[in-house]
Amino acid sequence: MPDWKEIIRSRVASLSLSGPAESELIEELAEHLGDRYQELCSGGLAEEEAYRQVISELSDLAPLKATIAEGRRGHAPDAEPSAAGPSSNLAEDFAKDLRYALRTLRKNPAFALFVLVTLGLGIGANTTVFTLVNTLLLNPLPIRDSVKLVAIAGSETKTTSKSKALLPLSYADLKDYRAENQVFSSLAGYISPRVVTLHAGQTSERLFSELVTADYFLTLGLAPAIGRLFDPEDDNDPGSHPVAVMNYATWQGRFGGSTDIVGKRLRINNLEFTVVGVAPPRFIGLNALFGPDLWIPCSMAELLLPTEMRHVLTDRSKTEFLAVGRLKDGTSRAPVQADIQTIASALAHAYPDIDGERTAAVRPLSDVLFNDAGTGWSPVFLGGAVLLVVVGIVLLIACSNVANLMLARATARRHEIAVRLAIGANRARLIRQLLTENMLLALLSGVFGLVIGSVGVQSVWSALPSAANFATPRTDLTVLTFTLTVSLLTGMAFGIAPALRASSVELTATLKQESGRSGRSRSTTRIANTLLVAQVAFSFALLVLAGLFVRSIQRAYEMDPGFQPDRLVILLTNPGQAGYDKARTKAFYRNAGERVARLPGIESVSWASNLPLWARVVNGVQVEGRLQRSKTDTVTSVLNTVDVDYFETAGIAIEKGRAFTDADREDSKPVAVVNQKLANDYWPEGPLGKRIQIPGEAIPREVIAVARTANYSTLAEPPQPCIYVPVSQNYSDAMVLYVRTKGDPRQLLIPIQREVQAAGPGIIASDTRTGRTVIDNGLFQAKVGVALLSLFGLLALALASVGLYGLMAYSVSQRVREIGVRMALGAPQQLVIRMVLKQAMTLVLAGILIGFLGSLAAARLLTRILYGVGANDPLSLAASGCLLLVVSLAACYLPARRASRVDPLTALRES
Amino acid sequence: MQEQPSDREWKKGSAELLVLSLLETRAKHGYEISKLIQMRSGGALSFHVTTLYPLLYRLEERGLVTGRWVEKANQRRRRYYSITPQGRKVLRSQRESWREFVAAIGRVIGGEHA
Repeated sequence: MPDWKEIIRSRVASLSLSGPAESELIEELAEHLGDRYQELCSGGLAEEEAYRQVISELSDLAPLKATIAEGRRGHAPDAEPSAAGPSSNLAEDFAKDLRYALRTLRKNPAFALFVLVTLGLGIGANTTVFTLVNTLLLNPLPIRDSVKLVAIAGSETKTTSKSKALLPLSYADLKDYRAENQVFSSLAGYISPRVVTLHAGQTSERLFSELVTADYFLTLGLAPAIGRLFDPEDDNDPGSHPVAVMNYATWQGRFGGSTDIVGKRLRINNLEFTVVGVAPPRFIGLNALFGPDLWIPCSMAELLLPTEMRHVLTDRSKTEFLAVGRLKDGTSRAPVQADIQTIASALAHAYPDIDGERTAAVRPLSDVLFNDAGTGWSPVFLGGAVLLVVVGIVLLIACSNVANLMLARATARRHEIAVRLAIGANRARLIRQLLTENMLLALLSGVFGLVIGSVGVQSVWSALPSAANFATPRTDLTVLTFTLTVSLLTGMAFGIAPALRASSVELTATLKQESGRSGRSRSTTRIANTLLVAQVAFSFALLVLAGLFVRSIQRAYEMDPGFQPDRLVILLTNPGQAGYDKARTKAFYRNAGERVARLPGIESVSWASNLPLWARVVNGVQVEGRLQRSKTDTVTSVLNTVDVDYFETAGIAIEKGRAFTDADREDSKPVAVVNQKLANDYWPEGPLGKRIQIPGEAIPREVIAVARTANYSTLAEPPQPCIYVPVSQNYSDAMVLYVRTKGDPRQLLIPIQREVQAAGPGIIASDTRTGRTVIDNGLFQAKVGVALLSLFGLLALALASVGLYGLMAYSVSQRVREIGVRMALGAPQQLVIRMVLKQAMTLVLAGILIGFLGSLAAARLLTRILYGVGANDPLSLAASGCLLLVVSLAACYLPARRASRVDPLTALRES
Repeated sequence: MQEQPSDREWKKGSAELLVLSLLETRAKHGYEISKLIQMRSGGALSFHVTTLYPLLYRLEERGLVTGRWVEKANQRRRRYYSITPQGRKVLRSQRESWREFVAAIGRVIGGEHA
């Protein structure tokens, strides 16, 4: 084939055109002459004759030279930016590159759409998870200088409890810490949110309120949205400051953002409170997830708290307050612990009976925010970390798909790039152009991903019960920065390798190639195969993890929580908050129980102070016969006040002894039932007849029975001690109704509610749920995790399948000649299909093997949050493997079938 | 057939019209334009590279066509020419002029009636 370019170059050299202009002219004319030459040869002319004829047509270049010499060849600069060399104006070059990139994308809409959707989904998934992590973990408090805030919690110097849970302080101790410390500019206390009843006309509703010291908002450095926050005077004269500060979201949601909220009177627990101000937006208290509707000065505690918590402001033994302090300027954390412990020692010395074995510890605020029970990593942290890793993997899979596509495109453009390099294009400039195209794609995908992320966050959050008290995820500057960074890194990840490879063509070999259908190099194919194996491996690992979590939830439902959740109805009541006195409350419990028991389909009815999976814990239990090092060497236990028939109704077996009866009255011998855990720990010889003393009670109780150990706080928790006392001997003005039904409990929810409301006018009795609902709520976090993991696992699988299909389709297209030869030699279609599938499934199986090892490692890290499922659960592994194999086979089948339908003649004619 | 001077004159006058009309429906590259002219004229007209491209460049300079490099999958890139709105105006006008011219010539050389 003659070198038409050289021929033309020599003819137009005299025109002295600039480099790019000359190159383009030569290229255009050379193409024409080459086509003319091919036409003549195909028409039967000998090569020499064809050459002579073409040259003869080139004989008179005068008109062309004249046109060009006149400067008439001043056609508008082409759309393609010049790659001739570096320009001194980077901004101009960048603008050109950007315009060219936009044009390229417009010309290849299918390619652009594929990349946008693939990367958009990956970036969107990352944005969703990061928004949640940012809201809950990174920026949970809209508080200034939160690094200066620390929590102060009580701890016992000698205790059998292994938990490092935050133990509260007494109000009296808190006042001493506040007065004596040298390290805090301000030290405030608060009691965790509690339910109160808001009366509005004939109706009542539940709100959450948090009792706080007057300096709470000052310590946190907050300013009101409107009105005022608490003053120091609000701590004085207990009972004389019926004021409240409202949660901003509650003001907006429940009260419509009304302008007259400041000064509004609210009837809470039959007491009149005045709203004095609204907290700033986004502040929901010292909890990352959930906060109160109202803050009330703790000077009102005596009037608001349940009976058993009265005297909390004066009784040093009643420990209810958590504390948060703001360090003085210039104070580091190191001396703080020492200072606090000095005060604790002084208190222990001054009050040996109460504080003798107590001390205090300085804890990071995160312990309070995430309610970490000191068990190591908070589930919120762990869940957030796991999800970030998972969506990171999904994005990597998306990037590798796009990278493969880019590599294929780069191969197709090798000739163009070779020409550009041959005519003097600067390699760095070329790489910049290619990268600009890739970064533009990545940024557009980032915008799309941001939209998906917002939708994703709304979808996840909508699964929570709607309430003003929950933290609100938001797309703030941090999230936008994250998304932008991820987009740019994504662009680099999928773009730089193809750009470098594309610009490193071997000029001579590439320019000499006749056909535009040059295939990939071996190394490119290796890269593509490796990427695919990695995709399959990650997808398999994710699917296995999702499968493990599904199985874990399944096991959790199968686990015995220690009580019978089926055919159980639970209803919360709080007669105390409705203004009922003791006599009226007792009458209500009796009447309501009788009315409900008379309903058809009811098996048994009882009352208890604790909800299932909601434990009230007391510290300072004294156990008879236990070797006590001191009077205050006591035990921590769950305490549940229950009525007659409770164990039968809740489905908790009595192992030894007898349950409470009507004979256990207020004036009879104080009795208690303990659980198996407590009995085994302290009375291995048998607990019946032993004595146990509850903190705050003067007389020990006799143990009359042992109940089976149940779950009291969470499902599948480690066993913990529990003490049951009869309500007749431990009055409570807030109890939970337990009803065991004969049939489906859902059908009796309304009738039960009606009977309770009839028995207790003014008492809120609308919070009815079944035992199954309680279990479901207990597994809510795990279910959200499973839903997200499954979604991301399936997304990863879909992306990997698309990648596999693309790779196989391309591979088949490159092997058309080979397949044609095989079929021409007699190979049946089935053999060709098997050949293609074997190539594909080898990669898939390699990916599965690597993914299997990866999933084992990952699952071992997560076993602590899996219920009763091991890292190598065969069902999860088998299901994931089968799903992946089936989907992979489907992805490969089309290319394989296409390969088997290759016409040998056509294939052999292709060069 | 050896080209007569008059042929050259006619070609010169009609060259723009030929090229613009071929570009009316879609963009084409230089070789395609020359092939179409040759095929549709039954070989009577032909434009070689030395005459076609100066014409295309002049049309481009006058803004009647625009040239753009296009790269298609598995092909070398080519310079495609497409007609501009200004070019369409000129084409309409030249077509009309050509029809009138041909009609006028026809009336003259049509022969006298007996």
